[in-house]
Amino acid sequence: MTLNLTLAARRDLTPDICEFTFTAATGALPPFEAGAHLTVQTPSGAWRSYSISNDDRETDRYVIAVKREDAGRGGSLSMHQALAVGDVIAARAPKNAFKLAPDASTLLIAGGIGITPMLAMLRRLVAQGVPVRVIYLTRSADLTAFRDILTSGPLAPYVTLHHDEGDRIKIFDFWPFFETPDDRQIYYCGPAPMMNAIYLRTIHWPRSQIHSESFAGVDSTDGTASPFRLQRASTGEVFGIPADKSVLDVLRDRGIAFASSCESGTCGTCKMRLVAGEPLHRDLVLNDTEKLSQFMPCVSRAAGEELTLEF
Amino acid sequence: MTATGQIASLAHYPIKGLSGQSLSEVTLSPGQGFPFDRMFGFARAGSGFDPAAPAPMPKDRFLMLMRDERLAGLASHFDPVSLLLTLKVQGREVHRADLSTPGGCAATEAFFARMFDLPADKMPRFVHAAPHRFTDVSVVSTDLMNAVSLINLDSIAELETKTGASITPERFRANITFRGWPAFSELVLEGREITIGSARARVTLRTRRCAATEVNPVTARRDLPIPRLLHQHYGHSDMGIYAELITGAVIRPGDSVSFT
Repeated sequence: MTLNLTLAARRDLTPDICEFTFTAATGALPPFEAGAHLTVQTPSGAWRSYSISNDDRETDRYVIAVKREDAGRGGSLSMHQALAVGDVIAARAPKNAFKLAPDASTLLIAGGIGITPMLAMLRRLVAQGVPVRVIYLTRSADLTAFRDILTSGPLAPYVTLHHDEGDRIKIFDFWPFFETPDDRQIYYCGPAPMMNAIYLRTIHWPRSQIHSESFAGVDSTDGTASPFRLQRASTGEVFGIPADKSVLDVLRDRGIAFASSCESGTCGTCKMRLVAGEPLHRDLVLNDTEKLSQFMPCVSRAAGEELTLEF
Repeated sequence: MTATGQIASLAHYPIKGLSGQSLSEVTLSPGQGFPFDRMFGFARAGSGFDPAAPAPMPKDRFLMLMRDERLAGLASHFDPVSLLLTLKVQGREVHRADLSTPGGCAATEAFFARMFDLPADKMPRFVHAAPHRFTDVSVVSTDLMNAVSLINLDSIAELETKTGASITPERFRANITFRGWPAFSELVLEGREITIGSARARVTLRTRRCAATEVNPVTARRDLPIPRLLHQHYGHSDMGIYAELITGAVIRPGDSVSFT
């Protein structure tokens, strides 16, 4: 669904981060949840996704903050330079790929512009009375978006703000927060070095409690994988195959046993019969004739929404 | 063709899927693999592994890198004699247990169950049944179960040149890493004898690589499709060989590895 949004206000939060408040040009705004992102057509023509930062109980506006990337592909720059109050832009209804678990003690970690989804999450969790702590890492006080509302007022008690001043010695020590896995849900979003550091330092935590969103895109898979439905020809059973799992992963998780070996599309061990649907063959084993009737569930996927296999 | 190379490093992997442990000296015995190599493992629930009657199982019945790449982010140290295990994350200890005790096993099984979101009825189980080894090729034959694995650094270097990627040899988790043979010359030696230090061994199988090699041992993420890259550049997905010891010897890094 395409929305038309009017820019109701804009303000600079830091020298390179600008906040944009959008209202509906016509009709009502679809609701959103904390963690959701809004995909807008920037004045450059390119579509870009930005996390929504306002309270998700607000029904009349979407607030996003955009960091100007002077060396980027031009989307953020055009938002900063070419979007004026009163302008109308096209957008898609908000989507949430970064959902909060209900009623769980929560640790939110933001680096730089990664604060935007965390701000909406913090607002929601504080409103619900759920235990929450925010660690917000920025280079310096003047480069800290939302510094005003995070250092004074009702949200401030939940926030640990840390500036490294670009000095490696002052890098935040996450370890006390990560050492012993407990029941906390951890969400993080920030620049790549921070993302990698947290991934490695939470490697011993269950994935059900670790959630992240990178700036590279809200779809963290290889960009080509989409979810689809798998039908088992003989029984009619239907299995949902998420974007980040292979057919083989899903069937194995469901306790359906079959032989596999390389799991990289090169050995041919886990071959299945293709019954219906348009496959997206990604293996290096099947020849063109075989590809008409066979399928490698370790790497191949559906080109459309459904695929029928026999196994 | 003949070639002589040198051993660059020696390692064993006492617990399948966990860290390799560097060795400064290894005593090779006829018909035997590296001491304690893959003699321990964490079997998944329902694996069917029976320590009283150990039978080879496919690798996906165990915790291992192909499925669980985050294992690469745990630095483990395991003493195969005392069964003392320590696990570290980025240099900080997160678990220590004595696996010779039921309590130590239970705590460690619970550690992995938590790490991999496994519910109580899917708890992995610490298993060992020496002389059984949980090597991937144990399913092929007992002789192969007890083979040693070798990796030629010159083959990796050539793959790096062809792909433009940096490929650390730790991805291949070999027992013996050596240099000095022409790239991929090791793949044409099946059935032939080689010498490793003063030991004689017979090359029995090329190592067909699986998706475990996609995992970067430093970042603990899948970042290079090694089997696919091999396939694209060479038409097969083999890197390294297995060899069965005919005679024993004590070997060390720097010793020669050769075939004639």
